[in-house]
Amino acid sequence: MTDPVFWQTLQLTLEVSLVTTLILLLLGLPLGWVLAHKRFWGKRMLESIVLLPLTLPPTVLGFYLLLLLGQNGPVAQTFGFTWAFRFEGLVVGSVLFSLPFALNGYREAFRSLELDLIQTARTLGAGWRRIWLEVILPITWPGILSGTILAFAHTLGEFGVVLMVGGSIPGKTQMVSIYIYDQVQALQFGRAGEAAAVLLVISFALVYLVRTLEDVWRSRMPSSTR
Amino acid sequence: MEIAYALEHPIKLHLKLHVQGFTVLLGESGVGKTSLLKAVAGLISATGQPFGGLRPERRPVGYLPQHFALFPHLRAWQNVAFPLAHLPAAQRKSKALGYLAQMGIAELAERFPRQLSGGQQQRVALARALAREPQILLLDEPTSALDVATREEVFGGVLGRLKSLQIPTLVASHDQWLAQRADWVAVLTKAGLVQQGTSEEVFTRPATLEVARLVGFRNLWEGTVLASDGVWAQIQTHLGVLKAPCQNWISVGQSVMLGIRSEEVFTLDSAENRIHGQVQHLRSQGLRVRGQLVVGDVTLDFLLPRYKQAQLKLTEGKSLEVALEPRYLHLMAANN
Repeated sequence: MTDPVFWQTLQLTLEVSLVTTLILLLLGLPLGWVLAHKRFWGKRMLESIVLLPLTLPPTVLGFYLLLLLGQNGPVAQTFGFTWAFRFEGLVVGSVLFSLPFALNGYREAFRSLELDLIQTARTLGAGWRRIWLEVILPITWPGILSGTILAFAHTLGEFGVVLMVGGSIPGKTQMVSIYIYDQVQALQFGRAGEAAAVLLVISFALVYLVRTLEDVWRSRMPSSTR
Repeated sequence: MEIAYALEHPIKLHLKLHVQGFTVLLGESGVGKTSLLKAVAGLISATGQPFGGLRPERRPVGYLPQHFALFPHLRAWQNVAFPLAHLPAAQRKSKALGYLAQMGIAELAERFPRQLSGGQQQRVALARALAREPQILLLDEPTSALDVATREEVFGGVLGRLKSLQIPTLVASHDQWLAQRADWVAVLTKAGLVQQGTSEEVFTRPATLEVARLVGFRNLWEGTVLASDGVWAQIQTHLGVLKAPCQNWISVGQSVMLGIRSEEVFTLDSAENRIHGQVQHLRSQGLRVRGQLVVGDVTLDFLLPRYKQAQLKLTEGKSLEVALEPRYLHLMAANN
């Protein structure tokens, strides 16, 4: 724990994970709702695209992002900014890569919500704002939170995408998992071990939390409406 | 209250319906009963009156879906207070408790829905619907989530309370038990609304063969009109010539359907409509006995109280002569 670079790296990793998670929450909740309860043309295609990172090698995703966000990429040419090898690039890559994890949680949470509850709430005079705040979120929050935590934990341990898009610049785009790899390459097993232990503890705590939330959720869902 | 609605999706339905007191919209599943309720509540797109064009949150209806849709995270009184959001907090609770008391379950106010039985959940949901101060109550299959064995006890009390409130109530149901207790019955089939009337009218004088089956006629045979004097008609059937109340549409020589309810096969002894048959397939149904009287190639289904079976000493294989009371026979058009 003596390496100052490690703490910088850990801080950056947590920042990327946090920003990514917040974006996923904003993006994933409406998307999860739409996928759970709406039927529309091209839905299967949309689902396949957002779930693609589950099977796509991270380096492939990272490679395309690098092309997209790099110096001569379409984004740079159209909008005039380059996000590759920067914090923003890390976030974009992480959002895409962790989207399926968050989305699965949100979609399942919303799916298990009976639409009768929403419809009845409307006939009882509630507008959409009240329905979200007083019906949907209070019932589905454990599922939403567990999806969010999973996405956070997943971002924390990312490797391939952030390596391709970020380039592992120490103190700037190097994430903990890449740091560990670099230390092993440099035969610094002590430093690698310490960093690995930190990630292990954090990840375990997060997964444990998710399991706890799942139990909370299960205990409140059955016999809720019948 | 008159309800006139037209909807195209998920089922094509155009109907005009009279709602009078506790009105049951009787029909098999899939004919659009639930869709009609949802249309009136504004939950699916449709045109019609009343409340046409209003969003569901602005319609003064009390809507109760099949499984009651109580909010699982809210206590009973909080569920009831949900539509009272416009009131200050203290008033909300006291008013909610008032509605629960009206449904006879004030003592359950602090319970969560999962701590309530089906019947109790239904009362909470009704209290919540009443808190909306609806101009009409819409109940979707209110007896289907209840045990048949305790239905009478559980829903009977609710029914009495609902009727005393005098809010027009439209109930979608396929439950004959419920329809028999309604002030008004409207029968919906795939062909549309085929009959409206008091429950006695619909249950004893179904307009079509389909309605007859829906309201529990098990005995239906073909026949031909032999004679008619405007009050009584003579009908040639496989059971012989039977006397039945005349209908204004019949004419001599016409093919008709003749029906009688299972409960009304064994009635008073009379000299008319005597038929001779053999008792078969006796089986008890609670406190009643169901069986068949085989007359040539026709079987007559019958249902009678246990004590009557004992009185008549009915056993399988027994030969028996019964009289079909002419007043209880009902004529319907054959081409349905």
